[in-house]
Amino acid sequence: MKSLTLDHASYWYAATDSSALRAVSLDVAQGEVVALVGALGAGASTLLLVAADLAPRVIGGRLEGSVSRHDRSGIVLPTPWTQVSGMAFTVWDEVAFGPANLGWPAHEIARQVDRALERLELVPLASRDPATLSGGELQRVIIAAILAMDPGLVLFDEPAAELDAEGAALLWRLIRLLAKEGKAILLATSALDALPDVADRVVWLEDGAVRAVGTPDLLAEGAACDAGLGTSVATVWRTGGLPAPYPLTVAHAVRGRR
Amino acid sequence: MIPALRLDDVSFSYGTVPVLERLSFSVAPGERVALLGKNGAGKSTVVRLIAGLQRPSEGTVWVGDWDTRDCVPEQLAWRVGSVFQHADQQLFARTVRDDVSFGPRALGVGEREVERRTDRALEDLDLTAHAEQHPYDLPPAWRKIAALAGALALEPALLVLDEPTVGLDRALRTRVTRALLDRSAGSVALLVITHDLTFAAETLERGVVLDRGSLACDESLTGLLGDVTRLEPLGLAPPPVAALSAALDLPGRPVRAADAAAALARVARGRLAP
Repeated sequence: MKSLTLDHASYWYAATDSSALRAVSLDVAQGEVVALVGALGAGASTLLLVAADLAPRVIGGRLEGSVSRHDRSGIVLPTPWTQVSGMAFTVWDEVAFGPANLGWPAHEIARQVDRALERLELVPLASRDPATLSGGELQRVIIAAILAMDPGLVLFDEPAAELDAEGAALLWRLIRLLAKEGKAILLATSALDALPDVADRVVWLEDGAVRAVGTPDLLAEGAACDAGLGTSVATVWRTGGLPAPYPLTVAHAVRGRR
Repeated sequence: MIPALRLDDVSFSYGTVPVLERLSFSVAPGERVALLGKNGAGKSTVVRLIAGLQRPSEGTVWVGDWDTRDCVPEQLAWRVGSVFQHADQQLFARTVRDDVSFGPRALGVGEREVERRTDRALEDLDLTAHAEQHPYDLPPAWRKIAALAGALALEPALLVLDEPTVGLDRALRTRVTRALLDRSAGSVALLVITHDLTFAAETLERGVVLDRGSLACDESLTGLLGDVTRLEPLGLAPPPVAALSAALDLPGRPVRAADAAAALARVARGRLAP
């Protein structure tokens, strides 16, 4: 079942003449992790705002083409500190803010909050004031707050940006688990080296349009390396002038040598 | 030579929550230091102490020969350029150019010098094309770059940067690396908080690792990043290039991409030779 379908979607921010998205056709199925990659300004963040129904409905601008959503969506913005409600004095209450606004019964709110806190390993911080958290801790709280609303389509914009190595590993595992549970995941990230283990499909955006779609193997192709979108290992191979195909990860490089 | 920065037995708590405990390290002029550690280790607090936004509970933070306890933040701006974790919050002008030039103008260095410093910082970070835009019309990653340009334009003796590469693509990260290497060659000291160890390997030379507010390790990054067994207990994961060098046992165990590519090419040539 498709959770999100864009059909020739183009989008213009308010008061701009050039489109930030150009005729993008893309779908994300339930149980699938799709990663958006591209240079800064290629349109990944804009695409997530459109998918979340924030653009143009909330932020204005103009959309052409069609966007259809089968599930309620939740989005983790690249600036998680702007997503804190400011209405809660504990992490638990902060994570409960979204579900409470969905009008769920108290026991369901509690169940979802406890589950989200456990999944983000935030239980020890449940009674902390969100204002006292470090950047990475706060990012995990915001991810928990979005997941507690149980969205069928989860949109992530640079979700690992503030996370340390453990936090990032936890997040990537969790994203795979969410997909296994049937959620549809669309994420934008510059953490290219994580994608071979995380993404089912990679969508390469360039100047607001889809340049290529493929498995994460796309990130080992010469063109991707030249555009700064190769994995570190593939890029080292290409820079060293070794013949293609390039290994995608350290594990591939080691296997290739044997 | 007086260090650009010296923390001398520094402790700090937010209320009753201890954050830093008897932390000591120093950064020499021109030195490029990564401040590493898990989330919540106290790294961002170090930045706030150096910028004079917080005072140590105990110990002393020296910026050159100034005790930060005796200085207000605007005075410290003569010597320290800072980029905070949430750099959005440090932009306020109507255009990127006005924002970048605010610092040197506030220092009172003269209009011609303000212009020179502003142009140089904008150019170094490829921001010239965005100079007349409103900072909030730029995506968050570019705002961070704009804040970094503002810090560079101060032309301080010490740059303290909290996660400067978040959300940047590879081309811009390379640009930041080049700008920072260039400033450090002019004997500017760098202290950079980052979880991006690939960027750290390309840009910085020494790693200071915090663990729950205390100094866990202080040594050359080349040695540290190549040693998986030492990184893991510190909550760090080896960057892919260092992991590749170790896995393939590349000569010299390079941690920078260009060095690894060169080593790999040499190994491949050696193997093809008759």
